[in-house]
Amino acid sequence: MIRYTLRRMMLLLITLWLLTVFIFSLNYFFPGDPLTNMSGVRASDALNYQLATATRAFDQGILAQYSNFLGHLLRGEWGQSLSTQQPVFQELLPLLGATVELSLLAMIVAMVIGAPLGLYAAGQRRGALDRLVMGLSLSAYSIPVFWLAQLLILLFAVKLGWTPISGQINPLFDIEVSSGAILLDIGLSDSPYRSAAFADAISHLWLPVLVLAMMPATMLMRVTRNSMLEVMQQNYIRSARARGLSDRRILWRHVMPNTMQPVVRQLGLMFSILMSNIIITEVIFNWPGLGSWLVKSIYERDYPVMQAGLFTFAALILLVNVLVELYHAWRYPQVRKELYAER
Amino acid sequence: MNILDIRNLTIELETDAGLVRVLDRFSLQLAEGEIHTLVGESGSGKSLLAKAILGFINPKWKITADRLWWRQYDLLNLNPAARRIITGRDMAMIFQDPSSYLDPNDKVGAQLRESIPRGELSGIYLKRRADRQTRAERLLHRVGIKNTEEVMDAYPHELSEGLAQKISIAMAIAHNPKLLIADEPTTAMEPNTRAQIYRLLTKLSASQGMSILMITQDLTAVIPESKQMSLIYCGQLMETGPTEQLMSTPAHPYTEAMLNMSLYHQQSEPKSRLPTLTGAIPTLQHMPIGCRLGPRCPYARKACVQQPALRKIKSQQFACHYPLRDGDDHE
Repeated sequence: MIRYTLRRMMLLLITLWLLTVFIFSLNYFFPGDPLTNMSGVRASDALNYQLATATRAFDQGILAQYSNFLGHLLRGEWGQSLSTQQPVFQELLPLLGATVELSLLAMIVAMVIGAPLGLYAAGQRRGALDRLVMGLSLSAYSIPVFWLAQLLILLFAVKLGWTPISGQINPLFDIEVSSGAILLDIGLSDSPYRSAAFADAISHLWLPVLVLAMMPATMLMRVTRNSMLEVMQQNYIRSARARGLSDRRILWRHVMPNTMQPVVRQLGLMFSILMSNIIITEVIFNWPGLGSWLVKSIYERDYPVMQAGLFTFAALILLVNVLVELYHAWRYPQVRKELYAER
Repeated sequence: MNILDIRNLTIELETDAGLVRVLDRFSLQLAEGEIHTLVGESGSGKSLLAKAILGFINPKWKITADRLWWRQYDLLNLNPAARRIITGRDMAMIFQDPSSYLDPNDKVGAQLRESIPRGELSGIYLKRRADRQTRAERLLHRVGIKNTEEVMDAYPHELSEGLAQKISIAMAIAHNPKLLIADEPTTAMEPNTRAQIYRLLTKLSASQGMSILMITQDLTAVIPESKQMSLIYCGQLMETGPTEQLMSTPAHPYTEAMLNMSLYHQQSEPKSRLPTLTGAIPTLQHMPIGCRLGPRCPYARKACVQQPALRKIKSQQFACHYPLRDGDDHE
């Protein structure tokens, strides 16, 4: 396991390094001045521009520039936004919190909906309910997220009025932003209207969470169902039954862990899909997260912000994938054997 | 006293080509503490027979029998739940690829402890747990595993096939079954491991009065401790009786052919022809009528299109119109 962990960590580091090289080179490919693209300091601001030239080693060769860039990246000095003139890294943190909150909730909802429905469908194999669940999941999987979001807004926010159309929370509550994750921030604040704010935040939250959860949930459903059907046919399940173990014990002790194995493996992939959906969803719901920030920066040609957004998204996806793989290998030891053909 | 009594068991499978008879009026009797070897080529229906006895039944199978009795229970007319309780308590089976019968994501020790029946433990939770542990260790000792701790802490993929087979035997004997069905338990094992497994099985049979139905492919795998033997070809019983008698004076041409085959290595001239029956095993959809060996049998005559009834010479029974040893003592 140690060897496996080290290998994954090496892979993570190398990929992250390649990512920094890519991001660094983007500064030269973007139109305009590379130094401005990187630091967010315009040439018209002569004094600061000279300062940035010195600190970012733009008076030296490209390798020195890169190593300086890396240093700035690691120190969290990611330049300033071209449009707001604020430091990018400090701007990013609460947005990251909001995005992580949204994606985590969506993942949890997807698992809570998807896995049990998949198990249920497998239990009713080829029955009417199985077909219904699988048919629904295929159609839900096929709906593009931007369309689904608009449809649900039309239905729940406009027509029924159950929920606000967009936003994270009613600004009247005046919750101080610290982590960016709204539920956490409400918990940390000392506002006298905390419970009301909480209810308001939930009413803002549930629709985007539902939209985001839809696709991973349908994927989970199908993976879980197929995996369980396969496990049920395995010899060890049949022999457990022949040994006279109770159905419940077989289900919880042998069927479930083995069913979840391929499901866990899929979680990383699901997270990547969730991340690409979250960008669109945040824009539609006007959610103050990384995705809408990134899209806005693209409209405004705000290159420092664009880089930061790209880097954070890519790093997040990489990190989650490696973590999922590590968990998978730790929880299911025979995976490690398959990787090395060890005995 | 027969504990397993099967008379004219027929299994038909529904296929696209209609009903296919994979087991045709098969009979088998097994006494307590006896080791009985069932010899048959692949596809002869021997594994299906084992499944029918244990009740691993697919709803698409049509099973009929004059008798399918286990001790005092009529297995065919029991409801599935009761049948599962009885077979789970009295019978156990071990298989060809033992490691696929172990949960890959669960430690061996946990699976072994789990197979110890709850009813045999008493006391509060902690005591039961400790009891389970000691009983699991004892089971491993009984199948000849000494480094119990190491083995119990391993995952199935870390075991060799021989070791995995020992584990599955340990799990099988955890509830002291009266019948153990061993379906080609040593295929793909080294001769050394194979001998170990056979020794273990015969020892268990002798010490606990456990009957064993050993299923094998050819006569070379029949162990001397197996006093009874049956030969099955394409779902039909060819010959059954005491092993020694069948080996020395076979009555059925199929037995003779199998014998010639297994004796070939010891007795034949170098570069002589392999003594085989002509032709090949027919496919399930195209079984010959009457005696299914008919088209391949060197002694077949016109009468062989009728299925021969079981005849008996002493304790040897066979289904053939023209047996090799015609009984001086016909019944």
